[in-house]
Amino acid sequence: MDEIFIPVTICFMLFIGLPWLIFHYVSRWKSQATLTAEDENLLDDLHDLARRLDERLGTVERIMSADNPNWRQLAVDPASIGIEDGVASRRIAK
Amino acid sequence: MTEPRHTKFYLDRANRKWSGVCAGIADYTGIDVTVVRIGMVVITLMGGFPWTLIAYWVAAWLAEPKPRELTQETVEKTKFWQGVRTSPRRTIRDVRSRFRDIDRRLADVETYVTSSHSRLAREIEQLR
Repeated sequence: MDEIFIPVTICFMLFIGLPWLIFHYVSRWKSQATLTAEDENLLDDLHDLARRLDERLGTVERIMSADNPNWRQLAVDPASIGIEDGVASRRIAK
Repeated sequence: MTEPRHTKFYLDRANRKWSGVCAGIADYTGIDVTVVRIGMVVITLMGGFPWTLIAYWVAAWLAEPKPRELTQETVEKTKFWQGVRTSPRRTIRDVRSRFRDIDRRLADVETYVTSSHSRLAREIEQLR
């Protein structure tokens, strides 16, 4: 009985249990959410767009700083407009 | 020939020592290539002897070499895609925070420009 039972068990494990285990994990891995080619292109575009906007905005900010170094405070604190206006008009008068 | 993908494992033939598997892993994950190679050797010596080599050959046999389009990318872009492969969620959050930053800065510019316009209008009114 024993010399029949052990090979049968081993064959069962080898040819049914092992592929079962492997396919179980393969199907699990396949069902996981992954990036599709479309998602990739979208992400690529968004990344490029963010970089370009960043650069453009950097240029605009640099131009504005060259024009009026205090523009940031002016935008944040409108109370200082009076003082800054004096500076600005003097700058225009020059 | 399918379209080259940014999230696929490729052999890195340009930096290869043998078949480019280790260089490919380094390129995929962003880990330094020397670290990957040393790790491979250490695992092999510490009892992984035939299996690491089999895995290496299987990888070298199955994976395609890196397409030309992907080898000509900038360093910044390569780093970005390494981040995507390691953690797509975090990279998407990074991109969103970049857009938010742009939005905030643009709002500053807008406030300044509109307030200086209204100032200009007031000055013109006073001159009349």
